[in-house]
Amino acid sequence: MEWFTHWSIERRVLAGFGLVFAGIVVISAISYRNTAVLIENSRLDTKSHELVQLLGSVGEALGAAESGHRRYLVTGDESYLTSYRTVVEQMPEYLRYLRSLTNERAEQQARVATLEQLIASQLAAEAGAIAQREKHGYEGVRHLALAGAAKNEIEGINRLMTELDAAEQRALYDRVAQSAGSTKNTIALLGLGAFLQLVLLASVYFLIHHDVAERRRVATELQSRGELLQAANKELEAFSYSVSHDLRAPLRHIDGYAALLSKAAGEALNDKARRYLQTISDSAKQMGQLIDDLLVFSRMGRQDMLRTTVNLDQLVKTVLHDLRLDLQGRTISWTIHPLPNVSGDPAMLRQVFVNLISNALKFTATRPETKIEIGAVRRNSGEAEVFVRDNGVGFDMQYVNKLFGVFQRLHRNDEFEGTGIGLANVRRIIHRHGGRTWAEGAVDQGATFYFSLPLARSLK
Amino acid sequence: MTTVKPILLAEDNPRDAELALAAMEEQHIADKVVVCHDGAEVLDYLYCRGIFASRQQGNPVVVFLDLKMPKIDGLEVLKTIKNDVNLKPIPVVMLTSSREERDLAQSYALGANAYVVKPVEFQQFIAAVKELGVFWGVINEPPPEGSDPIE
Repeated sequence: MEWFTHWSIERRVLAGFGLVFAGIVVISAISYRNTAVLIENSRLDTKSHELVQLLGSVGEALGAAESGHRRYLVTGDESYLTSYRTVVEQMPEYLRYLRSLTNERAEQQARVATLEQLIASQLAAEAGAIAQREKHGYEGVRHLALAGAAKNEIEGINRLMTELDAAEQRALYDRVAQSAGSTKNTIALLGLGAFLQLVLLASVYFLIHHDVAERRRVATELQSRGELLQAANKELEAFSYSVSHDLRAPLRHIDGYAALLSKAAGEALNDKARRYLQTISDSAKQMGQLIDDLLVFSRMGRQDMLRTTVNLDQLVKTVLHDLRLDLQGRTISWTIHPLPNVSGDPAMLRQVFVNLISNALKFTATRPETKIEIGAVRRNSGEAEVFVRDNGVGFDMQYVNKLFGVFQRLHRNDEFEGTGIGLANVRRIIHRHGGRTWAEGAVDQGATFYFSLPLARSLK
Repeated sequence: MTTVKPILLAEDNPRDAELALAAMEEQHIADKVVVCHDGAEVLDYLYCRGIFASRQQGNPVVVFLDLKMPKIDGLEVLKTIKNDVNLKPIPVVMLTSSREERDLAQSYALGANAYVVKPVEFQQFIAAVKELGVFWGVINEPPPEGSDPIE
């Protein structure tokens, strides 16, 4: 039974239903056959009863013919011949009926054939005796008058008729026994069938009940989880609100009082003291920047997302226009390939390009000539893969997993500025669009950042 | 102009208040500034009651309003001002640390005249407060006192 326990619940249910169904089909077939036998038997019974009755009638008729002709032989009274003649007239009809009632049983038919010959010869003998009586009077048939003309035939006929009757009674008896057995059998099978149907019905009820209960349970759980999630979201919102409001104030004070101190103490401070004050102020600013970045990151995660068709060509043009101040005094060769239309939130996707292009500009600042390439590969799975490639300082592939982490940086702050939130935001936005982000690069060989996005439906 | 109309600064944090005053001092408008430390005090000032019962009549030239304050918060004060026919003409500038969209939207919906996020950097903060003080306290013409409907 080990194989059975490995089956999935659906497979087991299907197997159970299959078995019960097959059982019901077999039972129905057997019951049908049994009922057909019963009907056939009852037809044959009717025939047998008719045959037994007919045999009686034939016997009586022959008896009447025999006694009629004998009375005539003795008395010469023609009126005694009436019944004899009637029997002679009726006999072919009786015999035809007899043949038709025995047409399904060879042994009885053989008997009927012999019987016909005997009857014919009895009637012929009696007809001969009657003719003799007419010609020669009583004296001519005296030797026949007592025993009758067809004594031998009548004995044979009586024996045959008894045989026929006995055989038919035997057949009847056998059939009754068969029918009784078959009826018993059918009743038992019908009982079993009813039981199986009850089992089927009960299983269906159980399955439906189970299914409905399961659905209800899942729905309740989903609802309670949704409520929990909503509460968690609210809490997170309150948290980031308080971060935005309360954490910023002390930083402002640190920076502000450092500035006031520097102003109030003025000339009294030596260079070292002034540098300390500057460091205090710089640190406060840096933390302010970190808080702002963190807030943007948190907002990217919970902000409602639009889903429209976004023209990436247009989007990149706008981003480059907005970044034009950063481009001043730089020699940059741009290679921008045609980009597809994708489905997503325009403001969020704009942020993705701003971050990636700003990164490309930042990490190529040390190059005499900056090369930036933007392009896309369309996949048949309804997805576009977009890349931003630069010839900047690149990175060591062994740190590739750290690139998209929050506040993860591969460069010191005095090399390249930044808080390390840009690529984390890119990943968060792309994930919310159902896409992936990855990167390739090598130290001093430039870097390529990839992301995938669902294509706009109309252009698939 | 015989009397100088004051600037009302609602700020519960004394350090923020001091920094703001330091900024306004550079513009020589600090003496015009009245500081309230919570929303209830702001309303007391505007309605000339409590500690302000004996102050000179008249509305301030502008109210700088922090959002998060004890007792009565900034949004509630704003709502009271903009629902009072006498106070309604006073320009109200929200001056706050919060750049949450919800706060922005609610403030403008209640009738705020401007919304300024306090920069962390002191130089920027000073610049912002200076500009605000000069614009609302000197450049901007306040609504004429006589036109105020009197109950």
